[in-house]
Amino acid sequence: MNTKTLMYIVKRILLAIVTVWVVITVTFFVMHAVPGGPFIGEKAVSESVMKAMEAKYGLDKPLGVQYLTYLSDVVTRFDFGPSLKQKGRSVNDIIFDGMKTSAKLGLIAAVIALISGVILGSIAALRRNKIIDRIIMIITTAFVSMPSFIMGSLLLIAFAINLKWFPANGASKNGLILPVLTLSLYPMAYITRLTRSSMLEVLGQDYIRTAKAKGVSGMKIIFGHALKNSLIPVITYFGPMLAGIVTGSLVVEQIFAVPGIGRAFVNSITGRDYPLIMGTTIVLATLIVVMNLVGDIMYKVVDPRITLE
Amino acid sequence: MKKKLVSLVLASSMVLSLAACGAQSTETAPADTQTSETAQTTDATTETPADTTAEAPAEPVGEQTINVCLASEPASLDPALNSAVDGATLINHLFSGLAKWGLDASGNLELQPDCAEELVEGVTNEDGTVTYTYTLRDGLTWSDGQPVTANDFVFAWNRAIAPETAADYGYMFEVVDGYADGKLNVNAVDDKTLEVTLANTVAYWDELLAFPTYMPVREDVVANEAWATDPSTYVCNGAYTMTSWDHNSLITLTKNENFYDADKITMNEINFYLSDDANNQLANFENGDWQMIDDVPTNEIANLKETYPDEFVTAGQLGTYYVCWNINENILPSSSTLTGADKAAAENEIRNALALLIDRNYIVNDVAQGGQVPASSFVAMGLTDADGSQFYENAGGNSFAGYYDVSEDAYEANWSAALETLKKYYTFDEATQQFTDFPTLTYLYNTSEGHKAIAEAIQATFAGIGITMNLENQEWATFLDTRKAGNYSIARNGWLGDYNDPISFLDMWTTQSGNNDVQFGKGDNASVQAYSLDITDLGYETKVENGTWAETYDVLISDIKTCTDPNTRYELMHRAEDLLMSTGCICPIYFYTDLYMISSNVKGFFSSPLGYKYFMYCTITG
Repeated sequence: MNTKTLMYIVKRILLAIVTVWVVITVTFFVMHAVPGGPFIGEKAVSESVMKAMEAKYGLDKPLGVQYLTYLSDVVTRFDFGPSLKQKGRSVNDIIFDGMKTSAKLGLIAAVIALISGVILGSIAALRRNKIIDRIIMIITTAFVSMPSFIMGSLLLIAFAINLKWFPANGASKNGLILPVLTLSLYPMAYITRLTRSSMLEVLGQDYIRTAKAKGVSGMKIIFGHALKNSLIPVITYFGPMLAGIVTGSLVVEQIFAVPGIGRAFVNSITGRDYPLIMGTTIVLATLIVVMNLVGDIMYKVVDPRITLE
Repeated sequence: MKKKLVSLVLASSMVLSLAACGAQSTETAPADTQTSETAQTTDATTETPADTTAEAPAEPVGEQTINVCLASEPASLDPALNSAVDGATLINHLFSGLAKWGLDASGNLELQPDCAEELVEGVTNEDGTVTYTYTLRDGLTWSDGQPVTANDFVFAWNRAIAPETAADYGYMFEVVDGYADGKLNVNAVDDKTLEVTLANTVAYWDELLAFPTYMPVREDVVANEAWATDPSTYVCNGAYTMTSWDHNSLITLTKNENFYDADKITMNEINFYLSDDANNQLANFENGDWQMIDDVPTNEIANLKETYPDEFVTAGQLGTYYVCWNINENILPSSSTLTGADKAAAENEIRNALALLIDRNYIVNDVAQGGQVPASSFVAMGLTDADGSQFYENAGGNSFAGYYDVSEDAYEANWSAALETLKKYYTFDEATQQFTDFPTLTYLYNTSEGHKAIAEAIQATFAGIGITMNLENQEWATFLDTRKAGNYSIARNGWLGDYNDPISFLDMWTTQSGNNDVQFGKGDNASVQAYSLDITDLGYETKVENGTWAETYDVLISDIKTCTDPNTRYELMHRAEDLLMSTGCICPIYFYTDLYMISSNVKGFFSSPLGYKYFMYCTITG
């Protein structure tokens, strides 16, 4: 790794920190500007209770002071504070619990999507316009265009209710199989299509023709030359995709009752659980920024022609 | 460039999917009285049909483990901090208070002594206060083996009202002497004797003793603020102990062998799965994994009733779904010259006429479809009157229940009567059968398919006679804020009582109440002298003609709170509802029902009208 690349990485890390800070600041002030608050419900609580709660959580202080206190807690102690809704639990705990499930779910789904996507995409490219290519393309087109709530519901009806092969909730044994499947189908289809088109492009390149002309075996051409180069767009896609599914998919979590971070995130907003909104936003934003960065660096690793600036 | 585009697309699709889901979740989660205020219920004397599925346990099969799903993660399982129905059900299984709900020999719900040896009568003191002295049973222990003492109750009750505890339901102790001073008049005479003094006679006192907020907790246990979030620190004294809590996923309760009444507990293990998605709950019920679910998808109700006639249950609930007006909204035509009390009287008449136009039977049967009961009074069905009959049936003093006749047959007559009234104030075009100068109204509701459908039904009705009503929806927390602040003209509303006493529906409408969404006595209405009250026939001195809301309704409510004679007190409560309903600002639509599904091989299950579910005496048969 040369100094130029190193400089680039350092620059990107600094930029990432600034990005996360901007996200924190904007979210903090927008969140407080939205009407409603954490302690109002259909039944009003008495004024003294409201005051006691606001004092307990520091919400009675000026917004600027709250912001600075929050920032210093996060930066110096990685402390996201207590949840205002789930009484007695810290935001760190809630995020840790949610991320554990979401990360497990997302990583398995991502690996499945990557492996099967690359294999199917390669097969489709190598058998271009043959029946197998057509079938793969039809199926992947369907998966890419089907939103996850329809896909999830279909799988639920078929495998959990009718066939009863798997449970319908994430808490039971084998309960993560259907959600993993639902999560992996879209990226799998997308990766298949990416691999196919980029491999077709690579297969038409001069160096492949040269290799063929020199009598290199078909297998060696595919694995030694074609596949590696055709994976470049897949890698670009993989980083952000991983960030996307690891940080939780609310839809899938809702359909299969999976205790992931996506549900925590959305519920925190509807319940105006300020510390949880901030905590989940920061964690998700950081993950996305980091994954993008990793994606870019990987890009460089597989394709030395690319200069990072 | 390409990669930028890809990440952009990804980022935006993520944001979109989140946004889409946000809408979806508001729809499922905070429906009506979603925060599911805890409960109240029927008086011990009333014969509320408990929803029991069977009496004698048939032959039990297997391990006796039941899988159920009530809602998502409970906000708190600390008895003082819980304010939700699902949390209350869990607490009822984990804690044991002085009293509990159970079934009598004939299967009716009744209050029974729990930690107390018996539910004693109170002794009235010279100053009108009432003292109760309870003796605790022998051998009561906490789940960690320490003995339960009277002091644990003293501590728990005072803790619940302390401002630093910030308990939503601290006001449940309002009836206990000393509440206003922040120190309850409750003492531990010795380890086994508890003495509590109430400010005056309280008809529903035994019922309060069974309320989750009244459960004991131990001082050294709750010193740890996070005690109620982890099984290892969760020390309780009830029929079950918490053996695991996988947050947002599953809570497992295991029978407590040290419980004094353990012999009667037939269910060994209860798995409370945590999901708030009605479709997911149904999927798990249909594939047989869960035996009881507390929520069903609204659009499946008709279908489920047919497919699962024995398993789909419609139970009573103490709540009213209604539409409320902002009393300060001007609804007279611009040409009107009425002011002051005349204006108020005209508006009361108009609002009551509009209430007659609404076809509640259509809304209940074709829109909501959950077995709800059309309502024409605010105090809900299920609350009892002084003589044990239904309060709502006696309301309004008519031959039918409530303030107007909501039977299907009466609808046409209601319609004509309403039209006649409205013609007094607005211009009616006979040719088109439309009013031409009715001001445009805006109906506010929180985002949900169910509320929207009801809003549309009312909108269509009004449109039929030329009244334009626009619909506006807001996300739950924003909606609550808007409605409380009175920034609306008409809004959907719902209320569940806290206990079986009509006061829990009436004291919310005093001027200073935090739940006074109508804005009675506030803003312009503060100075409107249009309300009359005469209770001299009941031995009071109050006789007001054309007074303000504060001079009439507020006075009446404070009289009710200090009244010690039950008959007079109930009569006063009827007068309060009369005054409330005369304004037309409350337009009841229906009385809530509690819908749930329970597998037919579960025997011994029952629930209370507060929505509490009881699994401890269940058995699973083959």
